Amino acid sequence: MSAAGEGGAVTPEVSATPADGSGAHAASAALDPFAEHRTQRPSRFLYALNPLAKLAAPVPVMVIVMFSRGIALPLAFIVFAAAVLLIGARLSGRAIAALLLGIPIAALVLGVTFGVWIDPSSVAGHPAASVTLISIGDWDFTLAAYLVGFATGLRILAILLLSLIAGVTSTGTEFVRSMVQNLRVPYRLGYTALAALRFVPRFGHELEIIRAAHRVRGTDVGRGPVAAVRRAVGYIVPLLASAIRHAERVALAMDARAFGAHRTRTERHFSPWRVRDTVFVACFLAVSIVIAVLTWGR
Amino acid sequence: MPPAPLLDLDHVSIRHEGADVATPVDVSFQVARGEVVLILGPSGCGKSTLTLALDGLVPHAVPAALEGTVRVAGLDTSEHPVGVLSEHVAMVFQDPDAQIVTGTVLDEVCFAPENQLVEASEVLERAERALKLVGLWDRRAENPDTLSGGGRQRLAIACALAMAAPVLVLDEPTANLDPAGIDEVYAVLRELASERDHAVVLVEHNLDAAVDLVDRVIVLDASGRLVIDGPAREVLRERADELVALGVWLPVSTLAAMRLRDAGIVLDPLPLTPAELAEALDAQPSLPAPLSESSPVRSTALSPRPTLSIGPATGSTGAIAVIGETAIRARDLSVRRGGRRGPIVVEGVDLDVAAGDFLAIVGTNGAGKTSLLQALAGVIPAPRDTVDVLGVDPARCAARERARRIGFVFQNPEHQFIAPTVAEELAQGLHLQGVSEADAVPQVEAMLARFGLEALRDQHPFLLSGGQKRRLSVGTALIAGAPVLALDEPTFGQDRARASELLDMLRGLNDDGTTVLVVTHDLQLVADYASHIAVMDSGRLLGVGPTVEVLAGPLVEQAGLRHPPLARATRGLARHADWHSITRMSQLPVSSKGAS
Repeated sequence: MSAAGEGGAVTPEVSATPADGSGAHAASAALDPFAEHRTQRPSRFLYALNPLAKLAAPVPVMVIVMFSRGIALPLAFIVFAAAVLLIGARLSGRAIAALLLGIPIAALVLGVTFGVWIDPSSVAGHPAASVTLISIGDWDFTLAAYLVGFATGLRILAILLLSLIAGVTSTGTEFVRSMVQNLRVPYRLGYTALAALRFVPRFGHELEIIRAAHRVRGTDVGRGPVAAVRRAVGYIVPLLASAIRHAERVALAMDARAFGAHRTRTERHFSPWRVRDTVFVACFLAVSIVIAVLTWGR
Repeated sequence: MPPAPLLDLDHVSIRHEGADVATPVDVSFQVARGEVVLILGPSGCGKSTLTLALDGLVPHAVPAALEGTVRVAGLDTSEHPVGVLSEHVAMVFQDPDAQIVTGTVLDEVCFAPENQLVEASEVLERAERALKLVGLWDRRAENPDTLSGGGRQRLAIACALAMAAPVLVLDEPTANLDPAGIDEVYAVLRELASERDHAVVLVEHNLDAAVDLVDRVIVLDASGRLVIDGPAREVLRERADELVALGVWLPVSTLAAMRLRDAGIVLDPLPLTPAELAEALDAQPSLPAPLSESSPVRSTALSPRPTLSIGPATGSTGAIAVIGETAIRARDLSVRRGGRRGPIVVEGVDLDVAAGDFLAIVGTNGAGKTSLLQALAGVIPAPRDTVDVLGVDPARCAARERARRIGFVFQNPEHQFIAPTVAEELAQGLHLQGVSEADAVPQVEAMLARFGLEALRDQHPFLLSGGQKRRLSVGTALIAGAPVLALDEPTFGQDRARASELLDMLRGLNDDGTTVLVVTHDLQLVADYASHIAVMDSGRLLGVGPTVEVLAGPLVEQAGLRHPPLARATRGLARHADWHSITRMSQLPVSSKGAS
């Protein structure tokens, strides 16, 4: 990861911060949506961090959670990640409710959905294996199976919450910008990927129209998986034809606007790696190690 | 020595990879700062290709061979990359959606200068200037998707302006826009033209919008050769017949004046705008009475030469529909988009369509036109018992029952193709009806012949030309014997030659008794072709009636639409009150010799 000074090599001089401009230019910079993002919410610390820091800190923790066993460790990390989100991000009322109520409910339900797939013989030695919750015919759903499923559900939820730390507090553009500035990812790659993101809703809409058009032609007569596959194949040709045409047009329009003409491009927004980013990553990992040591194997 | 011209084309020929002949061929011209140049020519003459050569996309980004030289501010385009040339030439393309690559209006405008390594402070200054000029500065923080079509195209113009290039090239910038969007874009272009700061090269079919801001016209013929290069007003006035013979479209007012000249009413010089036409007509001491609605003379802005109609269709068209009786009935029809909680897009519509009508549904973008048409045709579900098409509820009956009554043609014909060959595409509709293989063959042959597709029966539908695709899509909609045909924006994004071909075909079908419903926003087409108009605004049906009555009344303006050019000219006549009702070309008087 490059330091702030190296990021400066990408752009010779950054004068887009509100502090050093004057007149109309200062006004325009202050109203810039991305500058706004940082200056108007100083109380919530996650917004002030480099997106890569918000990704770098939780990723090792996700790996630990993935290879953990038992309930205590993922549960502890769910609480930790939720606390970081509640303190560090500005969440809507609905998001807070989903976090506090939705996560426990999801964990309980996932325990059942994963638990039923557990092979009873693999948990036979477990003390809770003798407690049968439901029995259908000669199949028993034991507490042991439920607990294993519950632990799996908790691991998934912990990983989800850890990824939300970066996900809800930075935009796609901010990510691409940090990858280009701090990780030296070629900007041609990063910004093309961003442009391609715009294709997704367009193709979704296009697919909806194609499906309606095919329905009108009477292709919805067959039922069952074979007919469904045949229908889906029928959507591919028109969707691809229009996708390729659209991509060609976008590529021409980007070429005409000098995209890729130079080795670098001007960055109006700076995404430096600051001391606070290092501090955040260090603290996050330190707390995580303590949690992991205390809860491992329980 | 005078400064080098901004654009200098010397014997330019461009041949696309895989094409046998070059279009354009051997084109030479120069453009200086301050000029506004309009490039005209029939479709397929290479106008768009030529615009791509003006900033080096041909030959650098498009697989095509360039002969001759194109110089941009003295730089040979074949020797300099597009990135360098982009500092001198900025482009605006036809489809606004295919030009947007970022998440906010401001980022979009900054995109090009950032790529050009312009300093951040100047990027913002340029962005502010460009956005203020097109009127989008207050919306700079928004996602471009929230803008209207006209707004997105104004954004594309702002993006081009932010490049600070002295040449601005626009390739059919309004072809995908509704009338309000076209007006917005031309208001911006007019301001740019008046500043005389840029050289503007414009390719445009809609001359009614463009005529008052261009200085110079360059005309290519069908083979791509430059045939006319001269001052706009003189060329359009003095060589109008030549242009029409070349297949170039003229302003409706000019076409109307040429029709009148053939009828013995000479307006000299030829008017180019509705205002000029009105003034010229008022200068005439007397005018013959307009033709009545019942006259058999036919003439449209797309094909002004008068012809005689074959007379109204009568009697039955197959077993289901009888001319004059109600074919479609909607009662208190409301439609939501996107499920039960979606927004209401059509509200409380009562509508009767008689068999044999040619009904146009008009309105601004978002007025609910397409949703209404789709609900009437059963493409999207309407509430129970609100729609009746020839005795069935189209959203609830079997596909084969629906296909025997109403055919629906989507905006993009490709969306509807499901078979690997043209013949199978047509046969599919018959298989749905349970027609045996042997019985289907003659019907498919008849349909191929009717739409001129016999030679293409084994071709893949996607490999047809645009016009052929459109004809095939209409054929597939009709093959099950449907007496009603519904088309969604059939002329959207097409040039006028294709629009004319399609509408003449629809009129032929209508003459044979097919009930036709179209959604469109081109009011001159509506005026010339439709027998009835339904006007929509904000999901509600403002009114429906015969074309002449609706166009003479206040509904068009209430819906936020503008009257078609011919109506704008005749409404304001001071001297000839009986001409106020003229809205369609076929109402203009003909010479005593009569129509051909």
